[in-house]
This record gives sequence, structure tokens and C-alpha cells, in this order.
Amino acid sequence: MAEDGTRTEAGGGGGPLPERDILEGFDRLIAADRLFGADLDSSNLKKSGKGTPFLVRRHPSHHRMLAHWRELFANRVTPQGLLDALAPEVLGLVHGDGLLLFGKERVLYDCQIVRGQEAVGHLTLSFYREREPVFRFLPFPRRPGRRIVYIEGISLSSQSTGYASSLFRHYERLFHGLGFHRFRLKASLSVGKYYWAKEGFDCEDRVQFREMREKLLALVRNLGLPVEEQEVRRLNHASMVATFRRDLQVPVYRNEDGYYATARDARHSEEFRFPLGKAFLLCADPWDGYKVIYTDTPRRTGLVWSEGYLDHESRPGHPESPKRLEALENAIREEGMRESLIFLEPYIPAMESLHAVHDPAYLEAFRQAVARGDRHFAVRDCAISEGSYEAALLAAGGVMAGIDAVLSDRADNAFCAVRPPGHHAGRSSAMGFCFVNNVAAGALYARSAYGVERIYILDWDVHHGNGTQALFDEDPLTFFCSLHEHPSFCYPGTGRRLEKGRGAGLGATLNVPLSPHAGDRELLEAFEREVVPSIEAFRPGLILLSAGFDAHRDDPIAGLECTEAAYVHMTRRILELADRHCEGRVVSVLEGGYRTESLVSSAIAHIKTLQGREGSPCSSARG
Amino acid sequence: MFVGPRMKRDLVTVTPGATLEEAARLLTAHRIHHLPVVEEGNRLAGIVSDTDLRNATLDGMFGGADRGDSGRPVTVGEIMTREMVTLTPGDTLDDAMLVLTRRRIGALPVVEGERIVGIVTKADILSALLSTLDIEGLGVRIEVVLRRDAREVARLLAALADLDVEVRSLVLSPHGTDGYAAFVRVATIDVASVRGRLRVKGFAVGELSDFYEA
Repeated sequence: MAEDGTRTEAGGGGGPLPERDILEGFDRLIAADRLFGADLDSSNLKKSGKGTPFLVRRHPSHHRMLAHWRELFANRVTPQGLLDALAPEVLGLVHGDGLLLFGKERVLYDCQIVRGQEAVGHLTLSFYREREPVFRFLPFPRRPGRRIVYIEGISLSSQSTGYASSLFRHYERLFHGLGFHRFRLKASLSVGKYYWAKEGFDCEDRVQFREMREKLLALVRNLGLPVEEQEVRRLNHASMVATFRRDLQVPVYRNEDGYYATARDARHSEEFRFPLGKAFLLCADPWDGYKVIYTDTPRRTGLVWSEGYLDHESRPGHPESPKRLEALENAIREEGMRESLIFLEPYIPAMESLHAVHDPAYLEAFRQAVARGDRHFAVRDCAISEGSYEAALLAAGGVMAGIDAVLSDRADNAFCAVRPPGHHAGRSSAMGFCFVNNVAAGALYARSAYGVERIYILDWDVHHGNGTQALFDEDPLTFFCSLHEHPSFCYPGTGRRLEKGRGAGLGATLNVPLSPHAGDRELLEAFEREVVPSIEAFRPGLILLSAGFDAHRDDPIAGLECTEAAYVHMTRRILELADRHCEGRVVSVLEGGYRTESLVSSAIAHIKTLQGREGSPCSSARG
Repeated sequence: MFVGPRMKRDLVTVTPGATLEEAARLLTAHRIHHLPVVEEGNRLAGIVSDTDLRNATLDGMFGGADRGDSGRPVTVGEIMTREMVTLTPGDTLDDAMLVLTRRRIGALPVVEGERIVGIVTKADILSALLSTLDIEGLGVRIEVVLRRDAREVARLLAALADLDVEVRSLVLSPHGTDGYAAFVRVATIDVASVRGRLRVKGFAVGELSDFYEA
């Protein structure tokens, strides 16, 4: 390793290197003919193979190169160090002729993949910053863009089993250390369309993903496969498509260039049989993929959010308003958290999965009330609008999407920013702004779809989660624990200590009421004294949080006086317990929180703690 | 409210000739504390409580009493309370509460003539109170202090009607020398705005937690 490459491994954790070292590095590479000014030639790229894919330019000034380096690599690595780190020996293959090319907006890496003396493939990467796209209805903030590694192309003349996978693993670590935010690529080659999905890449464009899902549905119908439409609609990540219904073998037809089609024709004649998801992707249209690199966050945290949640409108002056989620979404952007969260799309769940929680007649009455244009359902608290029914189903589906991501290991934990809330909703009752019990639907889904046996639900909304408690009253495998303001003083008037579950479920319910005006100290004392031991004793396979943030002292709806520090402390402890008992699996579901400022600051602190970020307020909260 | 609808009608009873052991078994099996002692035709002869049984047993152990011949088991008839206060189904729960509190006893047999037809215990009174106050009803209680004037009560009810909020129960108690405390249980989660709007209308709405410190 060269003398100037000593601090290269994955950024090394050290600070930036002196600019003198970087400049010397440029000069050495120029002298060795390994650094040029160049950019990709898009006209030549499409033909693939003929001529150089680069438009070679003169070397940019040192000043420009240095500006690029600082912006992309934060001077954490020298030019030679980067070249070395990009070219590990993997499965007997090395990189030859590795070059760095400085383009207008980006830096490129180009090399041959070599076995012994023979070139067997080609790899091109580019590094650039991407300005954040305008996000829906919200104003565009000026922020430094995400750092992107674009995989322009990787090709191997002979299939080398596992090479791309192993190299990609190395790159994930490398670019994590270098502070990059995501990989992007165009999945276009025959195998790539399937391979990258399996590697955890997802469609950058949700419209493209929905089209992909529709085409899969069309294929399923075309072939008359025994697949429910609902199963397909539930897919919300390309990797779920890649592994979809491995039990079904589907024929595909390959042409001479190695491309696949679902129907045999003159060119696509060689028949293969693959599992459904794989077969479908091999034949799919090219798609734009991305994969998040979890820079700065020790845990991969998913965020469920959808514009659909804003379609449930209440009347003016009603505390449970769409503004709650608009403000939260806005804050997530302003805090610069979008780069480090995995965005999960909720879906409308199968009705059968909701019938496990609610009486079908109840859901139908709710649907009809919305269709009729009623202003509220069941009680005046439960104001409804045109979009309320779909939004409520989407909220339950949001928790399911979070559970999908966590239990299929696409995320370590997840926060579901859903509304309307759910924890007051019972089998046949809407109340307290709740229609569908989201967290209960999620728990039963985790059990039926993933076989999670023991589920612990912690509800720290200021109100007792009476709906959830009633649903799991007799279930010994679903532990329900609620911390709330005492029922003699606070809605809904349930959740006394003596409520401990019934029948087989006796002992699997824990209610911890707190006196009015109790603050962080009282809450956390009770949490440590009662909640923590109950989790230890129960040994859950999954922890669900009914995370309302209305126990905050600034929230007008009830009488507890907690702060963000309490939420941070509880979140941190829950993660520790989850690490010990269930591989860190926590799915947190938004419930109440009605003062926008305290809801947002509390939820942001909670999400950051889920991500494992340090430095959130906590130290004084131990009581 | 009359005793009739609230009393327990399916009775567990003993005869005067039963042994203390038999009586104790009945109390344990049914998880109750009082046994009416009846003769033929359900004629009430007395009442025996778990306290009576305990005292009799202790007396026997410490030799404080010399009832009956040694070796013969003591019977319920020998230790039961004969001088009892009884109620009829037409008495009120107020009567029952006053007697239970003043006499410091746990249960009152209900008779029609000499025949026993039911029993009222402290637990029955408590559950009547629970449902009257709607303690388990969903909602939250707010407390309003009013001048002792029926028009003020009417004004409060009118204000609640204007707010379009479901009132689950309302208890009006004397408060101080010239006021009422009205305890209103409303079925809404948004109790903060109910409180706020009542205050705007000039009502003295207390936080229930104010009473906690006192």
C-alpha cells in the first residue's frame, strides 16, 4: 500500500486528510496516466462495446478537482487510497487499468475485471451528489444533496458465481465508511433485473414499481396461477418481488443474447423454469434501482408514510387533523433524515386480515357511513370525511408494511407515521378518534404471516389503549402494557391496575396509571420498575409500540407533563430489550399527539433513537 | 331505589343443626361471608358470619366456652346471631346503606313476613354505587363548581347541550356553604376543549387533580 493510502480503509473514522496529501495524490495519478478529465459519452454507451464510452477532456484545474473531492469524499481518502479500496481481490478476480475520471458534475471509476492475464469483465462507477427531488406539496429546501454511487455497469463475459455479490458487499462497507447515502443503478441487463432486486435494491420511482406490480398481476392471471390478487398488492419492495412465491415454477424463454421473455417466439426459444418472482423479473422492463447506505445510523429504520393518510379529514378545530402528519413529514425533511430512512409504502390490507380484529359488519357500517357522506361515525369524536375509510385501512396496512420490512430484515425497526390512530378501536367500536385498531391488526398479521408467537405491545399514549387491551384480553401470547394518565382523571376511564387480563390471558396485561401532573421522573420510574421486568419475563419475539406523544407537557389533551427525554429513554431501553430477546425487532406505530410542535419534536427524537443515533437528550432522564 | 331489584335472590343457607365445619365449607365454596340460618318453610332463624365461626372456634381452642358435651360438635344454631336487623324488598337502598354503616355489619337478610327472600351485602351496595356513578363508563369526569341555584345547573346543562357532547352521568353534590360541585362524565377524548369552552362561558371548571393535593 502506498504511503499516501494508509488512512483509507472505509474512511478510517479519522477526520479529513490534509489537502496537500490529496493534491499530491492527483499529481501522482496524472503522472501514472491513471487520472483524466472525462465524462461518460451517452451516445456511445448505448451501442455498448464499440469505442470508448468516455469523452476525454483536459484535466480540470487542481482547484476544481479538490472541490469535487471535498464535496464527494469529504477528504476522508486519498486518490490512490480510493483506487486501492475500489479494487479488492474477490474470488480470484482483480481490477486492471483502474482509472479515475473527473467529469463536470461527477467522478468516475472505470476498470477491467481480470482473471490472471485475461480480461473477463468491465466495471464503471460514478460518484456524484444529487439534489433532493421536490417532495410532493412541500416547499423545496436548500440542502446539500445526497452522495450517490451510481453503478453505471458491471459486466462479466463468463458468469462468475458470487463475484458481483461479494464485490457489492465490500462496496456497501466501503461507501458506508466514506459517508455516501445510496447506491443507484439501472437494472437493465437480463440477470441484473432480478439480481439487483434480490440484493435489496428497490425502484427509485414508485410509479414504476406500481407498474411492475400490475405487470406481475397480469402475468399471474395470464398463466392462471393460484395467486391471490391481494398477495401481489401487498408487495411493496422489489426484493419482495424477487422472492415472491418461490413455490411456483414458471416457464421463461431465453434468446441468444441472454435476454428472457415470458412467451416463446422465434428468438426466445430456449425454455427454462424459475420460481415466479425470479422468472417475472428476468423478463421485466428495465427499472431504476436504489439502495440506501445507512450512513451515520447504526440501525436501519423504516418509515411508513403515505399521502393517503392526509385524506382522512376531520372538522375544523378537531385535534386529530392532517396537519399533524404534514408537520411531521416536513420536519423529517428539514432534519435531513430522509437520506437515512427507508421509506416504506403502506398498502390496503386483505379484508380477511382485518376481520381477525374487527367484526365484518362493523367495518361495513363504517364504509357505508363514509360513502353516505356522514360527518362522524359512531360518536362525535370520530369525525369522518370522504377519504376516511381508505385512510383507516391504509393505516392498518401501514403497520403491516412496517412488519413486513422488519420481519424480512429489510429494516431493523420501523416507525409507522399513520393516521387515523387506532388504540381505542375495539372489535365493533369506534371511539377517541380511532376506527381500525392498527397495532392489533399488525400483531395478528405478524403472527399469521410470519409465525411470530410472542408479541409485546407497549402503549405509551397518554390515554389507556382500551381497544387493544380488550382485543387481547384473553390472549396469553400477546402481552399488552399501557402507561397512561389515571382513568379517574383521563379518557377513556379504563386501564386500572386491577385490569390484568382474563381467562388464559390473565397476567398478560399490565396497566400502569400515572397521577395527573406526573412527569418524566414518575413515568420513567414506573417504566423501569414495572415495564422493563415484564418484557424481560415475557421474552417477546416482536415488540410493537403504540407511540402516542400526548403525554408531553405541552399537549393540551391530557394532564401528564413529560418531555422528549422520556420518549428517548424509553425508546433506547426498548431497543436494548429487543436486541436481547428478538433481534432488535421493534415496530412503532403513531397514536396520539395533538400539539403539533411537541408531537413533531417528540416523534423526531423517537425516530432518531430508533436509528441508534447518539446525542439525543437522555442522560438526565434516568430518575 | 328499592332493595328488591338489587338484593341477591339465589341464597346459600344452612339449618340450625349444621355443624360449624359444614358452615365453614359452604362459606369457602361460595366465597361469601354470611349464611342465613333457616328452618322449615324458609323461616329465618338467624344469621351466621365467618367472624362468628372464627370466634366460636377460638373459644373452643382456648376453652373460653363450655357449650355442649365434650366430643359433640357445636352446631350453627348454638352460635348464630338471633337478634338481627332485617329489611323488606320495599325498603330502599338508602335504608340499607345507613343500617350497614351505622351498625357496622356486612349483610342484611331481606324477609317477607318470617320467610327469607334475599340478602343485601356491602358488595351489592358498592356495585349499585358503581353503576349509578357510571364509574366504568367510557369517558372522563369533569368537575364544575356552581352557585347553589337551580338556574346555574340549568345553565350548565344548556352549555353542555350546545357543545354537542354526550353526557354519561351527572352527580350534583353540596360544595361549601352555598355551592354545588357538579361531576359530569362526558364521552369525549377531547375533554380539554370541553373544559376550555365551559370556562369561556364563565364556569369554574376545576382540574380533578386539584383535589389530589388536598
